[in-house]
Amino acid sequence: MSAVDPQQRWNATRRLAWLAAAMALWGAAIAAKLLYLQVIRHEDYLRQARRQQERVIEIPAPRGTISDRNGQLLAISVPMASISVNPQQVPDLEVAADILSRILELDRTVLYGRLRHAEAAGRGFLWVKRKIAPEEAESLKSLRLNWIQFHQESQRHYPNGTLLANAIGSVNHAERGNAGLELALDDELAGHPGSARMLTDVRRRGIDSHMNTEPQAGASLTLTIDSRIQYTAERELARAVADHNARSASLVAMNPHTGEILAMASYPTFDPNYPPAPGDPPSKRFNYAVSVPFEPGSVFKAITLAAALETTRLRPDSLINCGNGSITLFGRTIREAGRGYGTIPMSLVLAKSSNVGAIQVGMQVGPERMYEYVRRFGFGSRTGITLPAESPGMVRSPRRWGKTSLHSIAMGHEIGTTTLQLARACSAIANGGLLVEPRIILKLGGKPFTTAPPRRIIKPETAITMRQMMEGVVVNPGGTGRRARLDGYSSGGKTGSAQIFDFETRRYTSTYNGTFMGFAPVTNPAVVIVVTLNGTRTTRGFGGVSAAPVFREVAQEALRVLDIPKDLPEVAPDEAAPEPEAEEPPDLAIAELGAPPVPEEDEQTPEAAAADTGPRVPDFQGMTMRAVLAQASELGLPVLVDGSGLARGQYPPPGSVLSAGERVRVRFAR
Amino acid sequence: MATLATFFRRFETRAEAPRGPRIETDPYLLRTLPNEDVFFYCKKIDNSRLVREADPRARKECWSTIGAACVMAALLTTILVPKMLGTMEGYRIQELRAEEQRLLDERRVLELEEARLLSPARLQELAQQRQFVAPSPGQVIHLNPKGDGALALNVK
Repeated sequence: MSAVDPQQRWNATRRLAWLAAAMALWGAAIAAKLLYLQVIRHEDYLRQARRQQERVIEIPAPRGTISDRNGQLLAISVPMASISVNPQQVPDLEVAADILSRILELDRTVLYGRLRHAEAAGRGFLWVKRKIAPEEAESLKSLRLNWIQFHQESQRHYPNGTLLANAIGSVNHAERGNAGLELALDDELAGHPGSARMLTDVRRRGIDSHMNTEPQAGASLTLTIDSRIQYTAERELARAVADHNARSASLVAMNPHTGEILAMASYPTFDPNYPPAPGDPPSKRFNYAVSVPFEPGSVFKAITLAAALETTRLRPDSLINCGNGSITLFGRTIREAGRGYGTIPMSLVLAKSSNVGAIQVGMQVGPERMYEYVRRFGFGSRTGITLPAESPGMVRSPRRWGKTSLHSIAMGHEIGTTTLQLARACSAIANGGLLVEPRIILKLGGKPFTTAPPRRIIKPETAITMRQMMEGVVVNPGGTGRRARLDGYSSGGKTGSAQIFDFETRRYTSTYNGTFMGFAPVTNPAVVIVVTLNGTRTTRGFGGVSAAPVFREVAQEALRVLDIPKDLPEVAPDEAAPEPEAEEPPDLAIAELGAPPVPEEDEQTPEAAAADTGPRVPDFQGMTMRAVLAQASELGLPVLVDGSGLARGQYPPPGSVLSAGERVRVRFAR
Repeated sequence: MATLATFFRRFETRAEAPRGPRIETDPYLLRTLPNEDVFFYCKKIDNSRLVREADPRARKECWSTIGAACVMAALLTTILVPKMLGTMEGYRIQELRAEEQRLLDERRVLELEEARLLSPARLQELAQQRQFVAPSPGQVIHLNPKGDGALALNVK
């Protein structure tokens, strides 16, 4: 092998040098480009890459569920699809309107108009329909049209419809509470959705994700309500309202030992699955049990007698002079609504609901101590239940009492209470003298919901004596609460009827609040139930006739559901039937005694709260008396006519809402 | 006899040969084929008596190279395979997450349906249709199974 020629070696070396230089230049160019791309334009390209490879996904956090004490769901949020389009990307608006209107059951013309308008305005987003049915969403997805965008939203459902609606409340379109528990616990119930960055491949499939914000699911809420008792309560309340032509009604059933609300019913009610219709009165959504106070009437005699047992020497067998049904106060003689009684034991004052007897007892207690015990039983202050718009009721301080205020309060007038306050007061009697804090929430977010411990307000022996006397109201042949007698259980209670005050005419009307508050069984009460019917008429609307049967039905069902053993032998249906109505002693408290129940300061009044529940007054101008009476009769309006000829004037004016107990006065002239 | 070395050398020598005027020969004479003068034949070489001399250094280098290659392969495997598996698992995790969310949504819908079916109003309606009556408290007996024997035998 011959040696390499030096010339060739030089040539080779030279070529290699050129090649190395070219390679170095190439490398340097690449390095420079890399430097430019990865260092100088780093942020820009990173942003672009993220936009292309990543997408931000929302992690839903549904609103917390609401269930009863047995786990029966009362409210739940379910994901729903909403549809939007980008009008600028829709290839053919007419075709789009055809497709969308057919599947989503929309008006094609209206939809096409909206699409045209949005496109002309240069808008890039248009909601087509929100919260559509799953079948509609599936139909649209199957079309695979890229100009239709799907969004996930949440829809609140109340599977039991009207059940407990007035207490649960409702939510608005954005799923924020606007009434009831949904409003009171909105912050706890509302979930806070999270977000995550998801790395996707070219087919938009997720590869990896990084959490931006952790989702916070809404706390679930377990109520103390038993939906079975609640259902019975609402059913019986609606039946009683229909039977007695009442305007509104409320019921509270609670465990007297723990303060747990087992049922809280209001009438009228509503279905929270649907938003309020235009013209719907807001009072339909009131929780009458906690928000609307009323004059309790004779049920308050139980408080008067409890105060007397605590502060005087009066005992159940102490004789009370009932003055044969009349009493003279400050030169004015007041008579009982029904027949009067002579001198009877205090227990019979309660059983027969003697107003004069209650006044006599109240006078022995005295105004200061009466006021003290009214406050001790929790009247005049909010119970603290976790519900919005709770009314504290209306209790005047003794400084503002009139000459006859003590007598009125002893009978349950000149004082405003809510159904819940009465239930709490009755619970104190039922549980041995402890004032419990009512609660409707059992667990919040899985943790037990605690309330303030009960405090003693009366001696245990007073409570036991009161229970025995209240049992007499039900079992005594002359008692006003015989219709509250239960089958197989002992029960006690007190009836009450109070005339409703008309704030327009400033007079008491002939409509009543019929109330019954009671408990069962007597020896160890398991349930306290207070029933109030507002706006009943005639003696059939008194508490003993209208409200006591509701108590009976609900208590019977509650005791069965709670599995409380019977403490009395079962009675055959024939024997258990109540006595004829004619023998029913009236329990109507004397209303026209003292000052009207004008609320203090800005306190809402019972009738003011329910003012817009009444019918609207038509225009009678120029009509004959016959036509006026016919139209008023059709609308169910009470009318007072004056004069003759054609209607020349009326009060209230046309269009105004007729309040409870109010009449339309029509003046006629030729 | 020509070896491969002489065979290739011919190209070099031919390239280096000065190009003179072409000698005209008989035009009817066939041209010689390329490498017509080259003859191949098999030469039998018997190397059986030769023994390769042991070279510990070369062997060491060889094993070092093999070891390095294995280490490199292992390193690449430990770096690349987990990354690849991680990506595949990432796909799977995202699919499972989406599936989990879908199932949670579906469960909520089913819970709603269950609540509707168990609503007291509906149960009351069904009970009335079938003429059911509510049991009195004494008629309801809660049985506590003790694990052996028939349930009914455990009733006290």
